[in-house]
Amino acid sequence: MSDRHRIELRWRGRNGRTGRTEIVRAESDESILDAAERADVGLPFGCRTGACATCTGRLLTGKIEHLRPPRGLKNDSKEDGYVLLCIARAKSDCEIEVGSDVQTDLVTNPWK
Amino acid sequence: MSDIESPESGAHEHHEHHHDVEGPGYATPQAAIEQADREKISYVPSLYVGTDVDAPDFLSVVDVDPDSTTYCEVIDTVEMPNKGDELHHFGWNACSSSCHVEGLERRHLVVPGQRSSRLHIVDTKNRESPEIVDVIEPEEVYEYDLSAPHTVHCIPDGEILVSMLGDKDGDLPGGFLELNDDFEIEGRWDPPGEIGMNYDFWYQPRHNVMVSSEWAAPKTYYPGFDLEDVEKGNYGHEINIWDWTNRTVEQTIDLGEEGLIPLEVRFLHSPEAAHGYVGAALSSNMFHFYEREKEWFAEKVINVEPREHEDWDMPVPGLITDLLVSMDDRYLFFSNWLHGDVRMYDVSDPKNPRLADQLWAGGLFGPRHPTGEDDREVIAGPQMLQLSIDGERLYWTTSLFSTWDNQFYPEEAERGSVMLKADVNPRKGTMTLDEDFLVDFGEMPNGPARAHEIRWPDGDCTSDVWQ
Ligand code: FES
Repeated sequence: MSDRHRIELRWRGRNGRTGRTEIVRAESDESILDAAERADVGLPFGCRTGACATCTGRLLTGKIEHLRPPRGLKNDSKEDGYVLLCIARAKSDCEIEVGSDVQTDLVTNPWK
Repeated sequence: MSDIESPESGAHEHHEHHHDVEGPGYATPQAAIEQADREKISYVPSLYVGTDVDAPDFLSVVDVDPDSTTYCEVIDTVEMPNKGDELHHFGWNACSSSCHVEGLERRHLVVPGQRSSRLHIVDTKNRESPEIVDVIEPEEVYEYDLSAPHTVHCIPDGEILVSMLGDKDGDLPGGFLELNDDFEIEGRWDPPGEIGMNYDFWYQPRHNVMVSSEWAAPKTYYPGFDLEDVEKGNYGHEINIWDWTNRTVEQTIDLGEEGLIPLEVRFLHSPEAAHGYVGAALSSNMFHFYEREKEWFAEKVINVEPREHEDWDMPVPGLITDLLVSMDDRYLFFSNWLHGDVRMYDVSDPKNPRLADQLWAGGLFGPRHPTGEDDREVIAGPQMLQLSIDGERLYWTTSLFSTWDNQFYPEEAERGSVMLKADVNPRKGTMTLDEDFLVDFGEMPNGPARAHEIRWPDGDCTSDVWQ
């Protein structure tokens, strides 16, 4: 088994256009955020400790593990496949939806 | 060429306008009103965190001098060394509370990152083009089991106090971090365990008191606002009254249902005054707090009624997000970020505020193009306020917090914030929107930015405390 995994990062398209895609290689001991940074691919982030949820992505295929409890995510968000990329390590090849819109999914306007 | 671009423009003369005191600031609030020059530039934290603009947050230097050719423009930016900070509130290394300290200058800004817990020290010796001179990294902050820095106040003798909203993991409780005059962490100011939650604070030395308020755990508010968290009691509704010298909480006042999410705390400026205000954002009530026979009380004095909106299922609260008191202690101003209005109250009798004037710009109920149909539209409502020291010009920006902005005003991420201004007539108690003033943070080199708190180089109505 290889130590490196192929991570496909997918942004949502805007205004009817398809979003961009980037492929990065993640070592089995680094976070997906670190792997993306190493490849010069910018992803949103804030605390880097799993509390703020700025780095939220959504796992479409593959397996990840969180290095510590993902405090910034509620339980149902975790069940819906949301992951915190600053503390997520790939356990297999993955496809992950990324970008600031993913984080916006987590909490909607409560008055609307 | 405008004089603001010239380093010899008289910027440094500002420091010499109070000949009778040795240190920074002004001897009294009245001295500030009489001696302060008109504000010519302002500093405004500007943000990309949480958007798809892959660049660090920055501090904007905004030209607010109407005689300058670059009036209403961002004339310089100080880019942070890292991405992901979420710059939010910031403050001076020194204010009038240290005006007896010889050799100390009001010259350095402490600019924290709310999400990163990183603290940046910015030297404004060259006012038009400040620079970062020091950075305290998050790991150094986490060592004190604190995170999420919020309000920065200089405290007497050149020290700096920063309210911290979380522990190192973004859980409760927070506390206070103290920096020395070399911008090194001195330690934790408060004995751990004094408070459950933290947010803003203001101290009044002659009454030996500090009042602090409550938002929530960073991990609660960082991802966005969720009514479920309110139901679970994850948001604050208390204020803490501290013994300033002993650093202990003497009294905790529960504001109850009417006081949900008490955010900004402002004392009257007079060092003799034992009166102040705290705005409960979610309940949209203004509380007056005061001391009587060594006991502190808080009473609701203003209520902003929720309003129906055709696109919303529930009545929308005003959401009081910022307030300030004019330097002469005569007026209280506050913003309703969701409704879209700024209010001005006469508080000559602090217990009985009287509505003097109100104006609308953006928000859910205000005009989208308040400065003219051809001008860019205002997404979001009035948020952080700043008033000129003479009380005649009120400025504000429109961003609250990146994730909350995205929830309530998603277009702001694509269009950026604006900074607006009203001309205030303190004699008549009126405000008029200045239709010639609009700073567009949508037009920044790396993409549209959010704009937050506003500070003047020589102190302002939310910085200064008198000993
Ligand atoms: S960066 Fe804050 S949770 Fe990942």
